[in-house]
Amino acid sequence: MAGYYEAVTAYPEGTSTVSRYAKTAADYGFDGLVVRTRDAEYDADAIADRYGVDVVTGIEVDAESPDSVSGSVGNFREECTLLLVRGGTNALNRYVVEQDRVDVLTRPMAGNGDFNHVLARAAKTHGVRVEFDFGPVLRESGGQRVQALRGLRKLRELVEQYDTPYVVSANATNHFGLRAPRELIALGEQIGFSAEGIETGLEEWGRLAARNRERTDESFIAPGVKRGKYDDG
Amino acid sequence: MKHLPKYIRPRWRYLAVAIESTPDAEIDRGTFQREVWYAAGNLLGDPGSADADLTVYDFAFADGIGEAIVRVRRGETDAARAALACVDTINGEPLGLRVQGVSGTVRACEERYLGRRAGDFEQRHVVFADADRPASARGGAVDVSMPTGFVSATELDFE
Repeated sequence: MAGYYEAVTAYPEGTSTVSRYAKTAADYGFDGLVVRTRDAEYDADAIADRYGVDVVTGIEVDAESPDSVSGSVGNFREECTLLLVRGGTNALNRYVVEQDRVDVLTRPMAGNGDFNHVLARAAKTHGVRVEFDFGPVLRESGGQRVQALRGLRKLRELVEQYDTPYVVSANATNHFGLRAPRELIALGEQIGFSAEGIETGLEEWGRLAARNRERTDESFIAPGVKRGKYDDG
Repeated sequence: MKHLPKYIRPRWRYLAVAIESTPDAEIDRGTFQREVWYAAGNLLGDPGSADADLTVYDFAFADGIGEAIVRVRRGETDAARAALACVDTINGEPLGLRVQGVSGTVRACEERYLGRRAGDFEQRHVVFADADRPASARGGAVDVSMPTGFVSATELDFE
């Protein structure tokens, strides 16, 4: 079992360093962290040693148009374990769900972004995870929160219908923004998710990271095929 | 008014809540209670908020960390947890918050879950982002004061 993971924006984009996130995440019962920030400086092994939290190198590409996403995907794919692309416009969402090399489409419903059955199917075909962003639900109020909730509901209905893979995140920009898995599950249940649904979404980060690490391993040739000594275990 | 006979009194659950904010933050019981009710009202609506009750019983906060006991009606703990998760700022300062555990009595709640987050608070200077800056430290966590506000780090970032 992969355990619960959370994806965070670290210093310099956010106001907490990766190690502070790890310290808090360990208290809260997370097993791992995905760092969305490309410029963040950290020593993943030292953090894992000290706090027992698995730190996954991720990059969240934030681009204006599909053209620039395309360039970034090519440049950053090799650099990181998880490649995330921020959605938020219809053109971006459409482009990203059709990219096999992208792992996660984040914040698809932010801003003017929308999602539909075509995108849900495409995301499943190409193995792109869609993110349920709980950030606005946790931190906004009034009209913006209502819009975010409406977006989450629409996305959830599509994801359930087409069996699209997904991840769940509180999208923190400082360590105060983290919430423990049980809190996220309770919140999810209040806004119409199932407890299992949220658990799956939190665990999916870990599963993705494990899969990508295996794929970038030197002994990996193809799924189920690897170089090495015969192992009869 | 005469108190209710025991068998008809409401049953309560007490949530032990750990709170964390910036070292400068000033939070007292009143402001925390207000934010909790506000969050509950927004997430659960007036009927849900009334059902959950969410009264802050015991509250302590100093130098960036604190603890509280929140009383909730039995059977509403999940709704209360969700509402508490939505408390994100108090007086403009960001707030981290976690439900440590749930008990049936205040005393059990205190004994089992509270008073464990010790660690000495100290002011000192650290080198961060190419400059010497004032910071406050406790138990491995270091909050560096930058011109734009606090940046939260740990000892590991200065090794």
